[in-house]
Amino acid sequence: MESQKSNGGFESRGEKEVMVANQRRVGTCETLVRILALALTLAAAVLLGVDKQTKVVPVKVVDSLPALNVPVTAKWHYLSAFVYFVVANAIACAYAAVSLVLSLADRGGKRSSSSSALGLMLTVLDMIMVALLFSGVGAAGAIGLMGYVGNTRVNWHKVCDSFGKFCDQGAVAIFLSLLGSIAFLLLAMLSAMGLHKKINK
Amino acid sequence: MATTEKAADTEYGKEAPPAAAPPPPPKPSGTTIPPIVDVALRALVFAATLTSLLVFVTSKQTIHLGPRSMEAKFDHSPAFIYFVVALSVAGLYSLLTTLASISIIQKPAFSNTFLLYFAFWDVLILGLVASATGAAGSVAYIGLRGNKHVQWQKVCNVFDKYCRHIGGSLAVSLFASVLLVLLIWLSVLTIHKRIPK
Repeated sequence: MESQKSNGGFESRGEKEVMVANQRRVGTCETLVRILALALTLAAAVLLGVDKQTKVVPVKVVDSLPALNVPVTAKWHYLSAFVYFVVANAIACAYAAVSLVLSLADRGGKRSSSSSALGLMLTVLDMIMVALLFSGVGAAGAIGLMGYVGNTRVNWHKVCDSFGKFCDQGAVAIFLSLLGSIAFLLLAMLSAMGLHKKINK
Repeated sequence: MATTEKAADTEYGKEAPPAAAPPPPPKPSGTTIPPIVDVALRALVFAATLTSLLVFVTSKQTIHLGPRSMEAKFDHSPAFIYFVVALSVAGLYSLLTTLASISIIQKPAFSNTFLLYFAFWDVLILGLVASATGAAGSVAYIGLRGNKHVQWQKVCNVFDKYCRHIGGSLAVSLFASVLLVLLIWLSVLTIHKRIPK
């Protein structure tokens, strides 16, 4: 029922959108942003979670012998910042799924004081997800940058020149997660705006 | 406040109760959060970001290894520069909003609009501080433990004072982000309580 309505509004968003009530439009918008956040965090977690690259690197053990070909593997869980990133995105993704179901069930049911209590709880949890996702993006981004450029002062060499695919996949995951955290930011702002409108009414 | 008193007055007149009836109870003011809590939390955020910044910037350490000397400074890593910039912005923001929050106590007329703006910008600043703490924290963790898979050696066994400064600064900035979360909850709760039933 609910999904049908939101689908109809999405497909022919001309006259119908104007006709629907303001409250409903905000609700549809919130649902869309929530679905977007769910998809983005899921994509980021899966993309970095399956990130793995094996490469054969010639290693010279003794100068007189020819170089040995050693397969070297880069995996996502070698770096603790990436582990944190994947866990944070998985938590945010699970929360987005649960909150989507809760908010849809709430909108389908009666509109009473219980609905605003649930909305308040979701707003409070959205804020925590904003903090969690942004810290995960910051952590993984800083390590990813270190992988791309290295740090000559402490002799940390860059690794992305040999593991190009691994690094690019990680960069895409971090970018998607950044978009996902902006979606959660929008959710928090939308619900604050909805509350504010109710005061002035 | 004036409107509620007016409403109560008209109600009183309409009902026309007996003279001995007690006056209608005033709106329970104990359930609303006093605005001084907002000011205090904002001042605390300012103090925390300032402390974190000062400890971070003064983390310079020079070590003499025979003829050559090695220096560790915060601007040697882009993640640390981002941390300093982000915390400077957050500190300036919290100073300005503390002043704005004090002025709201004196002039409560704009309170609702300001609460909305506060909630908006607080979420943005929370994202900034959280990402900066994450970025600096992950680099500091590698400095502390090293990573043998990519052969990044740990540096904190050499630069002990430098690492202690950075660790303390990160702890204080984590505290600041927790405070920001509390502040946003406070704004949302205050807006929620003002919805007319």
